Amino acid sequence: MLNLSLKGLWAHKRRLIGTFLAVFLGVAFLSGTLVLGDTLRGNFDDLFTEANADTDVVVRHASTLSTDPGEPDIQRGLIDASLVNRVRDVEGVAAAEPSVEGYGQLVGKNGDKLGGNGPPTLAGNWIDNRDVNPYRLVEGRAPRADNEIVINRGAAYDGSLRVGDTTTVQTPDPVSVKIVGIATFGSADGLGQTTFTAFTLDSAQQHLLHRTDQVGSISVKAQPGVSQDELLKRVQRVLPADVEAITGAKLTNENTSDINQEFLDLFTTLLTVFAGVALLVATFSIYNTFSIIVAQRTRESALLRAIGAGRGQILASVVIEALLVGVVASAVGLFGGLGIAGLLKGMFDAFGFSLPAGGLVFKTSVVVISMIVGVVVTLVAGVAPAIKASRVPPLAAIRDVAVERTRASARRAVTGVALTALGVVVVLGAVFSGGNSVLGFAGLGALLTIAGVVVFGPVVARPASSVIGSPLRWLRGATGSLARQNAMRNPRRTSGTAAALMVGVGVVTLFTIFAASLKSAIDDSVTKSFTGDLVVSTGRFGGGGVSPQLARDIGQLPEVQTATGLGRGRAVVGTATENVTIVDPAQLGDVLDLDADAGSVKTLGPQEIAASKAIADDEGWKRGTKVPVTFSDGTTSEFTVGAIYKSRDITGNYILSRAAWAPHSVQDIDSTVLIRLDNGVPVETGRHAVQRTADGYGAPDVEDRDQYAASLGQFVDMMLGIVYVLLALAILIALMGIANTLSLSVYERIRELGLLRAVGETRRQLRSMIRWESVIVAVFGTVGGLGVGLFLGWALVKAASEGTGDMIAPSFSAPVGQLVVVLVVGAIAGVLAGIRPARRAAKLPVLRAIASE
Amino acid sequence: MASTLTAPPDTAVARAEQATKVYGSGETAVRAIDDVTVEFPTGRFTAVMGPSGSGKSTLMHVIAGLDSLTSGQVYIGDVELGSLSDKELTLLRRDRVGFVFQSYNVIPTLTALENITLPSALAGRKPDRAWLDGVIDTVGLRDRLSHRPAELSGGQQQRVAVARALATRPQIVFADEPTGNLDSRAGVEILEFMRGAVDELGQTIVMVTHDPGAASYADSVVFLADGRVTDRMVAPTQQSVLDRIRASEK
Repeated sequence: MLNLSLKGLWAHKRRLIGTFLAVFLGVAFLSGTLVLGDTLRGNFDDLFTEANADTDVVVRHASTLSTDPGEPDIQRGLIDASLVNRVRDVEGVAAAEPSVEGYGQLVGKNGDKLGGNGPPTLAGNWIDNRDVNPYRLVEGRAPRADNEIVINRGAAYDGSLRVGDTTTVQTPDPVSVKIVGIATFGSADGLGQTTFTAFTLDSAQQHLLHRTDQVGSISVKAQPGVSQDELLKRVQRVLPADVEAITGAKLTNENTSDINQEFLDLFTTLLTVFAGVALLVATFSIYNTFSIIVAQRTRESALLRAIGAGRGQILASVVIEALLVGVVASAVGLFGGLGIAGLLKGMFDAFGFSLPAGGLVFKTSVVVISMIVGVVVTLVAGVAPAIKASRVPPLAAIRDVAVERTRASARRAVTGVALTALGVVVVLGAVFSGGNSVLGFAGLGALLTIAGVVVFGPVVARPASSVIGSPLRWLRGATGSLARQNAMRNPRRTSGTAAALMVGVGVVTLFTIFAASLKSAIDDSVTKSFTGDLVVSTGRFGGGGVSPQLARDIGQLPEVQTATGLGRGRAVVGTATENVTIVDPAQLGDVLDLDADAGSVKTLGPQEIAASKAIADDEGWKRGTKVPVTFSDGTTSEFTVGAIYKSRDITGNYILSRAAWAPHSVQDIDSTVLIRLDNGVPVETGRHAVQRTADGYGAPDVEDRDQYAASLGQFVDMMLGIVYVLLALAILIALMGIANTLSLSVYERIRELGLLRAVGETRRQLRSMIRWESVIVAVFGTVGGLGVGLFLGWALVKAASEGTGDMIAPSFSAPVGQLVVVLVVGAIAGVLAGIRPARRAAKLPVLRAIASE
Repeated sequence: MASTLTAPPDTAVARAEQATKVYGSGETAVRAIDDVTVEFPTGRFTAVMGPSGSGKSTLMHVIAGLDSLTSGQVYIGDVELGSLSDKELTLLRRDRVGFVFQSYNVIPTLTALENITLPSALAGRKPDRAWLDGVIDTVGLRDRLSHRPAELSGGQQQRVAVARALATRPQIVFADEPTGNLDSRAGVEILEFMRGAVDELGQTIVMVTHDPGAASYADSVVFLADGRVTDRMVAPTQQSVLDRIRASEK
C-alpha cells in the first residue's frame, strides 16, 4: 500500500501542489506568529536584563500605581535626594547614584520629533559611574554644563544629529540644548527604539522635576562578595517607610512581566487568532483538493477493490498520502515561518510600531506545535473525503456513472439551517443579555454560525451561482452561459471552494465594520462634544505632549477666545489604577460639551472628581459620593463626585481639575489643546496664528475639526492596515484553493473542453469561460463572507458598545463604499485565481482532449 | 506514388494533396498518413474505411483542421488550412465544419437545444430559425429540446450531435464512427438522418467507420491501409464492401 501511495502521490503531483502550498502557508503563518511572539519576549528580556545588568539594587518610591507601557515611568513618586548619601554609607555599597527620569521629546535636525509610536521618549541624567549606567559613551564626552546633553546613537541616526549640534528637547517645555556626546546602550544603538537624552543631574532635576531636593531613584552597586539579597536587606534598613528597594533581578522581572501583560500577550493572542483563521482557510482548501482527487480516483479505487483490496487498504493509501503531504509541507512551512516572522516584524515597524531589535528566537515548542497542527489538519481534511468515497460500492464506481452529485441532500439543508440559526441565536442572546462573558458567547455563536453557513453552502451554491452568473449570459453570451453552468454543475465543490474565501472575507468584513463603527463614533463625538474650532494635537498613540504653557500662550493670541489644555495622568480611583484627564474646569465648557448628567464640570473643585455616566452607573456613584483617590506621590485623599457626564469619547472616564492634580505631579504635560477662536475670525487665519505659536513648542500639528476627528481615528486605520495585511494571507490561501479546484476541474473536463474547441470555441473564449467560472465562485464566497461578516460585525460592535472600557464605544456603521470595494476585490481575485487554470486549459491540444479514451 | 481516384476537382468541398502526417521522430516516428491525395465531392456522403491504425481518423482530423500536417496541403473550399492560425482554424471549424464524434458529443451542462445551437452561440449569432426547425424535425428531437444529456439515451445524444453538426449549414460534416457506441437500431437511425441530410438538404458528409453496414449508406467509400489510399468504391453495398475488405486481407 505504501508503494501505491507513493506512486499515487507522484502521479498526482501537480494536483498536490495546491494542497502542499495550503498546508505550507498555514503552518508557516502559525509558526511565524509563534516565533515572533517568542522573539519579542526574548528581545525584551535581553533588553531589560542588559538595562539592569550592573545594578544590584534600586531604591525608589513605594508607589502602588501600575505603570502604563508606552509611557515613561513618571507616575512613580520622587524620593529625597539626601537618601543618596545615606545609601552610600551602607556597608557593602560600592556605588549609589541618583537617577532622574522623565518625559523628554528630542527634536531632530529637520524639526521633527524623534521616536516611533510605542516606545517612550525619555530624558534623564548622565551617570558617570559605569557600574550603574548601562549607557556607554562612544563619541564626545559627558554633559558638564547646563543644557549640554548626551543622546543615544539610535536617536542621533534618526534625527541626523551630531556632536556639536544644537537642538531642542521638550520636557515638555522646550529646552535649547547642545549635543556633547553620543552613547550606546551596552553595545546597541539604544534601549530598543527608546530615545534617551541625558542632562547633568542638576539640569535633569530642574527641567524634569522642577526641584533639586529630590530624585527619581537610586541605582546601587554592591561591593564584590556582597549578594544582591544581602545588599537589599542592608539598604532597606536605612530607608523611610514610603521608600522601597528591590534587587536588579527583580526589577528585570517586573519590567518583563509588565510588557508581557500589557502588550505582548494581547499582541501574540491577536497573531494566533489570525494564524487560526489562516489554518481554517487552509483546511477548507486541503479538504476540497482531496475531495476532488478522491472523486477522480474513485474508479481506480473501485478497480482495486474489485480485484480484492479491502476498504481499509484503500483508506490507508489516502492516509499515507495525506500524512506525507502533511509532514513534508509542515516541515517546510516551519522554516517558512522564520521568514514570515521576519516579515511580520518588518511590517509592524513599517506601520509605526517600533519593536526591539535582536535575532529570531526559535523554540522546540514551536516545532512541536506547528508539526502537530499541520499534520493533523492535513490528515483530517484529507481523510474525511476518502472515508466518504470508500462507501461507494465498487461496481457502482466502475460503471461509467457521473461521479458528480448535483443535488444537495435535505438532511444537509436542515443541519445547515439549524446550525446557522443556533449560532445566530447564541450571538444575539450574548449581545442582548450583556454581562461579562459577552465576547466568549458571541465567539461561540460566531463559530456555530460559520459552521452552519459552510454546511448549508452546497444547498444555495446552485441557485446563488445561477443568480450571480445570470448577467454573464447577456454580457458574455455563450461563454458566460457555459461559465455559469459550470459553476452550477457541482454545488458541493463550488461551495467548498468558496467556503475558504468566505471565511477570509467574513473576517475582513468584521474588522472593516468594527473599524468604521469606531471611526463613526469618533466623528460623532467630535461633532457633538467638541464645540471649538482648532486643536493642537500631539499624536494619539504612545503619547507625545506639550507644555501647559502652550495653552496659555495661545490663549493670549488676539484671534483666540479660549485655549485650554487637556492633560493626562494616572491615579488610583477607588481601587484600580485609571487614566484621568486633567482639565481647567472654568474654560472647558467653552470648547467641550460633555453632556452633563448631574452637576457641572465647570465648577469642579480641587477636591472633586467628575466621572462618566457609564462608570457612575457601574459603581453606583451619585453626585456627592465620596471616592478615595491615590496619586503617584503616594498621597491618598477623599474626593467627592462633583459631576457626571455622558460624553466620554474625548476625556475618558475620569476628569480631575488641574488644581487637584498639580500638587501631586512631577511633570505637567498636556496631550491636547482645545481652542475656540474669537467670533468672526476665519479658521485659516486662526490656524496660522496658532501654528506660529505652536512652532516654538516642537511644532505639534494644528488641526481643524475634521482633521481632529481624522487624527483621533488614525490609530483605527493603523490597526486596520495591519489586520488587512495579516488577513491578506488567508485570502491568498483561499485563492490558491480556487485555482487548485479549477485546475482539477479542468483536468476532469478535458474531453468536454476538447469538444467545445472542436465545435468552434476559440482559445480566448475558453479562457474567458474558465475565468468567469472562477469569478462566479469567488463572488459567491465573497458575498457569503460579507453576509456573515456584517452580522458578526454588528454583534461585535453591539457587544463592545456595552462595555465601559477606556475605548471609545463604537456605534454600528456599515461602510458601503468599503464593502463594495471588498466585493470588487473578491471578483478581481477570482479573475486572478482563474488565470493559470484557464491558460492551462487553453493550451490543451484539441485532439488530445477528444481522443483521450 | 499518390493515389488519385475521383470526381472533378471543382466540385470538391474538401481535399488533401500529398498529405503526410508523422507522429514522433527518429526511430519511433510513425507515418499515420503517407502522401495521401483525396477529394470529397460536394453534396455527397463519403465513407472512409480501413482497419485500426490505417490512418482514417488522422485523415479526418487533418482535413477538419483539428490537427496539422507534416507536409502537403489540405483545403476546405479554397482555403488552405496550413496557412491558418489557431484562431482562424477555430473559426473555420465553427462556421464551415460540423462534427459528430463517436462518444462524448454533447456538453452535459447544456440542454439539447443549447447543444444544437452551441456553435452559433459561440459565434454570437442567432441561428437560422427555419433551417434549425427543419433540422430538429429531421432528427426527431422536438419534444426533447429542454432535456439535459443525462436525461437522454445514447441514440438521442448522437441525434443531438448530428443536429448540432447540421445546424450551422456547414460546408462539410465530419463524423467519426458516429454509430460506434450505439445499438444497431439507434445506429441505423443516425445513418438514415445523415443520408437524409445529404439527399434532402444537399449536405456534404465524410464519415469514418469500420462497419461495412454503415459504409453502405454512403455514396462512395475511400479505403485506407497503412496511411495510404488503396481504393475507392462508388455506390457501395454492405456486401460489396465486405468483399472488398476480404479481398484486401488475402
